[in-house]
Amino acid sequence: MIAGLKTAATTPGSTLALVRPPAALVTGASRTRAHGTGLNRSGPAKRSKAAVDWALVIGRVAQGDRAAFGALFEHFAPRIKGFLIRTGSSPDEAEEIAQTAMVAVWTKATQFDPGSAGPAAWIFTIARNLRIDAARRRARDGRLDNAVGQDAETDPDWSAEAIVTRVEDTSRVAAAIEKLSAEQCAVIRLSFIEERSHSDIAATLGLPLGTVKSRIRLAMNRLRELLDEPT
Amino acid sequence: MTISHHPPDDLLAGYAAGTLDEAEHLVVGVHLSGCAHCRRFVQALEHLAGATLETSVAAPMAKDAFAAVMARIERAPKPAAPPPAPVPADPELAGLPESLRRLQIGPRRRVAPGLSMRPIQLTARATSRAFLLRAEPGVKMLDHSHSGTELTCVLEGSFSHRGGRFGPGDFDYGDDDVDHDVTVGDEGPCLCIVAMTGDLRMHGLLGRLISPFVRL
Repeated sequence: MIAGLKTAATTPGSTLALVRPPAALVTGASRTRAHGTGLNRSGPAKRSKAAVDWALVIGRVAQGDRAAFGALFEHFAPRIKGFLIRTGSSPDEAEEIAQTAMVAVWTKATQFDPGSAGPAAWIFTIARNLRIDAARRRARDGRLDNAVGQDAETDPDWSAEAIVTRVEDTSRVAAAIEKLSAEQCAVIRLSFIEERSHSDIAATLGLPLGTVKSRIRLAMNRLRELLDEPT
Repeated sequence: MTISHHPPDDLLAGYAAGTLDEAEHLVVGVHLSGCAHCRRFVQALEHLAGATLETSVAAPMAKDAFAAVMARIERAPKPAAPPPAPVPADPELAGLPESLRRLQIGPRRRVAPGLSMRPIQLTARATSRAFLLRAEPGVKMLDHSHSGTELTCVLEGSFSHRGGRFGPGDFDYGDDDVDHDVTVGDEGPCLCIVAMTGDLRMHGLLGRLISPFVRL
């Protein structure tokens, strides 16, 4: 898939290519619901939701393409907001963070690496860091001593050296995720990303509590193993 | 540098999900900056988080949200990449990873013979504290345990306890169940970054003398 992306990305003026995302990324516990409103308003072609290659769209945004940004906004802003509310933000805070995240997506689009963990993961990390910053600001504003200087940008993206390693690691990470079963992806996402309690997950999946706990542990161990496999 | 002690999975997952408190996030981040193994794990979790975002139920944005975002973009021209953190004049701080050089780090306080600390100013509520801990070669720290958790990442030097030897990049995780009986390596001072939640309970008189300092 990555090779295909790169080919498409270097073709100037190509319409947004339709590339299916890896199976592991669309087989979660809950599938995308239809919210098709308006996505096609600015785009030249009718696109099916699951098939839009957002990496290419971000590439266009990096070149200042506002229509592409409009499509990206319509797709991701409400999902960022929904995700943040689901994981504990107030609706107002979620709205604010989603807007700020989209501003950051525009300004950082040139830094997006099409070979990286993927557009949704990239946008997730932007929103995540903004939420951490928002929590810090709230806490600081509530304190009397205001000695701290300006916000250090959250997540230093590690060192330059680390970034090189990240790029080298990307294919390994993608390969590991591909090999993880849909069920294992689902329990990791529910437990660690959505932070649902074990009993909540047990109810969602219709499994005994003990089974949920062991599945989460096995899934994390399996992910570790897959990541350690030589490529 | 060979790293042999890593954070537990749930801390790495919390880092990826952005749910750790500030001090913990900081210490796990320092470990990640030196550990490709754990970075891959965090990256895989971010990948899964992206899939979760992609399948999240959308919450409608405010009517004027897109216009508001475009207005903010118009106002702010594309910024260049942020400049690297300035190298502090303080030699101890100059050797720190870049993520730490951006922080406000307070003056050194002596804690006990051969042991000193510098508080790291955090912005979050005081549910956790972070500090740089410096121990001179050969120092033995007291037996102590916690009512909370203690996360440590070694920056320089080494220490050993029942769990093994911990050198640069190594991550040590202590909670209620762990009694530390720590000996600092002879090769040089040991500098660590520590995140602590809850209270440290020291055993013995010296421990009770140290406690007021550690309880920031």
